[in-house]
Amino acid sequence: MSWPILTVILFLPLAGALVIAAIPKERRRLIRGVAVGTAAAVLGLAAVLLVAFYALPNPSHSRLSGSVSGQSLHRVVSPITFQFQEQASWLGSLSELGQGPSSLNQGNNSVNQSIPPPINATYHLGVDGLAVWLVALTGLLFLIAAVAVRRREGMLKTFAILMCISETGVLGVLLSLDLVLFYFFWEAALIPLYFLLLGFGGERRGPAALKFMVYTVAGSLFMLLAIMGAYFIGGAQTGIYTFDLPTQILIQTSVHAGHPTSLTLFGHTLRFLTPAQWLFLAFALAFAIKIPLVPLHTWLPDAYESGSPPFLVFFAGIVSKLGAFGFIRYCLTLFPGPSHTFQPVLLALGVTSILYGALMALRAVNIKRMIGYASISHLGLVVVGIFALDVDGLNGAIIQMVNHGLIIAGLFLCAGMLEARFHTRDRRQLAGLARRMPIFAGLFLVIALAAFGMPLLSSFVGEFLILLGAFEVGPAWAVAAGVGTVIACWYMLRLYQGVMQGSERVPAHAPAGFHDLRRVEVAVLAPLVALIAVLGVYPEPIIRDTRFSANQYVVSADRGVVPTPASPAARTVGPSTGAPP
Amino acid sequence: MTQLIHSAALGAALPWYPLHFVPASDLVEFLPELVVAAGMVAVLILDLFTAPGPRTRLAWVSGVTVTVAFGVAVGEWVGHVNGHAVFNGAFAADRFGLFSDFLILLVALAVIWLSPAYLQRRGLDSGEYYVLLLGAVVGMLVLSGATNLIVVFLGIELLSIPLYVLCALNRDDPLGQEAAIKYLLLGGFASAFLVYGMALVYGETGSTDLARIHQVVLHGALAGTTDPMLLAGVALIGVGLSFKVSVAPFHWWTPDVYQGAPVLVTTFMSVATKVAAFAAFLRIFSVTLGSTQADWTVAIALVAIASMVLGNVVALAQRSLKRMLAYSGIAQAGYVLIGVALGQPDGTAASLYYLAAYAAMNTGAFGVLTALSGRGEDCDDYAGLVGLARRQPLLAGLMSLFLLSLAGFPMTAGFFGKFFLFSAAIHDGQIPLAVWGVLTSAVSLFYYLRVILAMFSAVGGPDQAVNVAGMTVDGAAVARAQVVLARPTLGARTVLTLFAAATLVLGVFPAVVFGLIQGIHVVAG
Repeated sequence: MSWPILTVILFLPLAGALVIAAIPKERRRLIRGVAVGTAAAVLGLAAVLLVAFYALPNPSHSRLSGSVSGQSLHRVVSPITFQFQEQASWLGSLSELGQGPSSLNQGNNSVNQSIPPPINATYHLGVDGLAVWLVALTGLLFLIAAVAVRRREGMLKTFAILMCISETGVLGVLLSLDLVLFYFFWEAALIPLYFLLLGFGGERRGPAALKFMVYTVAGSLFMLLAIMGAYFIGGAQTGIYTFDLPTQILIQTSVHAGHPTSLTLFGHTLRFLTPAQWLFLAFALAFAIKIPLVPLHTWLPDAYESGSPPFLVFFAGIVSKLGAFGFIRYCLTLFPGPSHTFQPVLLALGVTSILYGALMALRAVNIKRMIGYASISHLGLVVVGIFALDVDGLNGAIIQMVNHGLIIAGLFLCAGMLEARFHTRDRRQLAGLARRMPIFAGLFLVIALAAFGMPLLSSFVGEFLILLGAFEVGPAWAVAAGVGTVIACWYMLRLYQGVMQGSERVPAHAPAGFHDLRRVEVAVLAPLVALIAVLGVYPEPIIRDTRFSANQYVVSADRGVVPTPASPAARTVGPSTGAPP
Repeated sequence: MTQLIHSAALGAALPWYPLHFVPASDLVEFLPELVVAAGMVAVLILDLFTAPGPRTRLAWVSGVTVTVAFGVAVGEWVGHVNGHAVFNGAFAADRFGLFSDFLILLVALAVIWLSPAYLQRRGLDSGEYYVLLLGAVVGMLVLSGATNLIVVFLGIELLSIPLYVLCALNRDDPLGQEAAIKYLLLGGFASAFLVYGMALVYGETGSTDLARIHQVVLHGALAGTTDPMLLAGVALIGVGLSFKVSVAPFHWWTPDVYQGAPVLVTTFMSVATKVAAFAAFLRIFSVTLGSTQADWTVAIALVAIASMVLGNVVALAQRSLKRMLAYSGIAQAGYVLIGVALGQPDGTAASLYYLAAYAAMNTGAFGVLTALSGRGEDCDDYAGLVGLARRQPLLAGLMSLFLLSLAGFPMTAGFFGKFFLFSAAIHDGQIPLAVWGVLTSAVSLFYYLRVILAMFSAVGGPDQAVNVAGMTVDGAAVARAQVVLARPTLGARTVLTLFAAATLVLGVFPAVVFGLIQGIHVVAG
C-alpha cells in the first residue's frame, strides 16, 4: 500500500472541520451530514487499515522478528514492529536524522559557545497491534458521537467543528512515532476537548473544564521536560540526537543509566533516583493523571458529570485510554529498567484505583458519577494488566482498553437517554422502566453485564487475561483486583435492577409520557452491543493482533533487567530478534 | 573588521582623535532607522497642514513609512549572511538586529492599524501620537543594532522619552498622568543605573565599544581573572536593562503603567519595548560578555526564576485585565531571560523565537482589548468579556487563541517558544530553569483559562452576578459594559486575524522561523 493511509486518516477529520466551518450555521442538516460522513469515512479507512494489518504475513507464526514486512520506510530496526510507517521532515530535516550536531553558521565573534544540536523531530507515523485497534475504536466512537448529536442541539456547528478537531488530535496521539509530534497532539487535543466541555455541558461545566485542563496540562508539562531529557541524555551518550521513537527506544537501552541524583545535607548524602527513573516518573505522572489513577483522579467525576452525552462517548471512551496507551507505548519501551523498579508502586496504585473506584461507584446515586467511578475502577484493572509486565497481562490490558471504550460509551449513552427523558441523574428516582422501554432495557442489560466481565461478552476475555497476568506476579494482586470485579457486579446489577425492574416510578418534574428508543438511538447503541457480543464470542482477531504486540512490549520492557550488549553494533542493529520470555 | 576594531579602539583611547571617516555606504545599513525618522518628521509637518478633525491620513503616512522601513530591512536581511559593524563599530548590520527590527516594525504596523478607530472612540486623536510613536520606533531600531554603550543608551532614551509622553496621552485621566510620572521617575532611575554601569565598564576596559569590551573581557577570562569593577558595571547595566524588559525585582512600575496608559499604547509598549531591550540584553550579555558567562549566569537565572514565579502567581489575583496581562508580561519576560541566562547560541536563538511568538500573541491579546475599548473607557474589566463568545464569536475565538498561546499550548506559537527555551536550558545543564519554567507555566494556565471561561459564560440579568472560577463579576457591570464597549472595526478584525494566523504558523511549522534564527550571526562590535 503505497498511498499514505495514516496521513489520510489523521487529517480527514481536520478537513471535515474546515468544510463544516464553511457551511452557514443555519444549515443544520448539512452540518450534521458532513460530520457523520467524515466520521464514517475515518471509520471506513480505519477498518481498511485493520483488515490490511490483519492480512499482513502473520509474524507470530514465524519467529518473533523485528524486521518490517513489506512496508515502506524503516530506518532503524526497533524491538516494536511498526507498520505502514510514513516519515517527512518537520522541525529538522530528514537528512540530519541520526547525525550528530551539524556545523551551523556561527559568527567568528561568538566564541567559546557550544554548537546546539539541531532539533530532530520529524513527522513520523506508524501503527502496531496496540494502536491499530485503538484507531478503529476512535473511528467507531466518533461516528457514534456524530450520530448521537441531535440536530437541534444549540451551536451545532461549533460542536461539530470541535469534535472533528479533537478526533484529529486523538488519532495523532495514537499514530505518531515521534516524541515531539506525540506531545504536540497530546496537548493539542486538549484544546477542543476543553471547549467542548466548556460550551456544551451541564450546569457546573466551567469549573469542571478548568480543573480538567489544569490537572492534565500540569502533568503533561513534566513529560515535556522528560522528553527533552531523554533527547539530550541519549544524544550526549550516543551522539544521536533525535526525537524519533523507534530510534529513541534503541538509544535509551544502550545509554548508561547514570548515577543517582544526590543531595548533601548536614554532611549526610541523600541518594535519590537515577535520571532514567526521574524521566519515567515524569512520563508516568502525565499518564496517571490522564487515566486517572486514584490520588490524581479528582478531575474525572466532575468532568464526566458535566459533559454532554455525545461528548462523553469519545471523551470517556477514547481519551482516557490514551493514558494507558502512553504507559505501554512510552514507559515500557523507553524506560524498561524503571518500569521494573516501579512495578510494585504502579500495581499498588492500580489496585487502589480498582477498589476505591468500585467503592465510590457503590456509594454514588448520580448515575453519571457512578459510571465515572466505575471507569476509574476498570482502568485501574488495565494498569494492573500493563504492569504485570507479562504477555498475558499486557494482552488483556490492550483488549480491555478496547472493550472498556465500547462499554463506557454505551453506559454514557444510556445515561444520556435516561436524562433526556426524565431530566434526572439520580438513580433512586427511577424504577420499573423495562415494561415501557423493553428495547432500551435489553441493550442496557447487555452493556451492564459486560461492564463487570460476564463470560461470552467482550470484557470477560480481557479481565481473565489481566487476572491471569496479575496472578503470575503475585496471587495477592489478582485477588485484590478480583474483589473489584465482584463489587462491579454488585453496583452494575443494582443500577439495572433499580432502574428497570419493579413498579414504575419516574420523577414528578419529568415530561409526561415517555417512549422507548427512537431509531437513531437504537442505531447508536446497537453497534456497540453487537461488538461487545461478537468480541466476547469470537475474540480471535483482536487477540492475534494484540498478542504479538504485547509480546514485543514485554520483550522490550525486559531489556531493562536482562543485560544487553552496549556495543555500537548492537545499537544500530538492535535487539531485533527477541525471543519470547 | 580588524581595521574597524582598531579604529574604534583608537577613537576610544584617544577621545580627541578625530574619528575615522565614515563611508556613506554605512548610511545604507542605517536606512530603516532613517526611513522611520524621515516619516516622523513628515508626519510632524503634515499635522500642521491638516484641518482639525480626524487624523486618519497621518495614520496612513505612518503606516506607509513603517511598511517601507520593513521592506528595506528585508532587503538588508537578504544582503547580510554574515553581519558587520558600521559607523566605526558603533552599530551592527547583522541578521540578529534585523530580526528584532522585523518584530518591532510589524508590531508598530499593527498598532498604527488599530490607532485611528481607537483614538477617535476615546477622543485622543492627535498628530503628536503618531510622531511620538514613530520616534519610539526609531529608538527601538537603534537599540536593537547598537554595538556601542553610548548608542545603547541613546536608543533607550530615544524610545523611552516618547513613551513617557504617550502614557499621558489622555490628559483627563489621572491614572494616565500617574502612570506617566511613575514611568518617567523610575525610568530615570533605571537610566542612571545604566549610565553608572557603563561608566564603570568604560573605566575598566577603556572603551565603550562592545567589540573592544569583548576583547578585554576575553583576555581577562583567558587569564582567569575578572575585575570586580567590571562585574559591578555589568551588574548595573543588567539592572538598567532589566528595568526596561520589566523582570522581577525591577518590575514595580509595570502594572501601574500598563493599567494607566491607554490600552493601545500598552499594546505597543509591552511588546516592542521588550523586543528591543531584549535584543540589547542578548547582544551585550550572551555575545559581548559571553566569556565571563560563569560570573553572571546565576544572577540572571535567579532574576528569570523570580520573574516567572512572581509574574504568574500575582497575575492569579488580578481583577483588571491590563494588570493581569502586565504580570503575565513579567512572567513572559522571565521565560525569555532563560535564553539570556544560558549565554549560548541555542539560548539566543530560543529567546529570539520566543520574542517572535510573544510579539504575535501578546500584541494579539492586547489588540483584542484595544478593539473592544469603547467610548470613554478601556476594556479593562472581566465584566467586559463575559458573554463575548455570544456577542463577538470571532473576537472571542481570537482572544482564546492568543491566551492559549501565552499559556504555551501546542498548535500555538507559545508552545514552541517554550519548547526551544526549555530544551536549550536542559541542553546547557540548567535543568532548574526548565523545571521552574514548567512549574510556573502550570500555574499560569489558571488565569489564562479564566479569561476564556469568562468569555464563554452566559450573561444573566443586571442583578445576577456571574461567577468566573472563584471571581464574582457584578451583573450590572456586565450589562453596562455591553453598552459602553465598542464593536470591533473591520480593520481591527483583519489585523487580529493576521496575528492569529502568525501565532498558528509559529505553532505548527516552527521551522519556518526557527530556520532563520538558528545559528544567527550576532555582531559583538
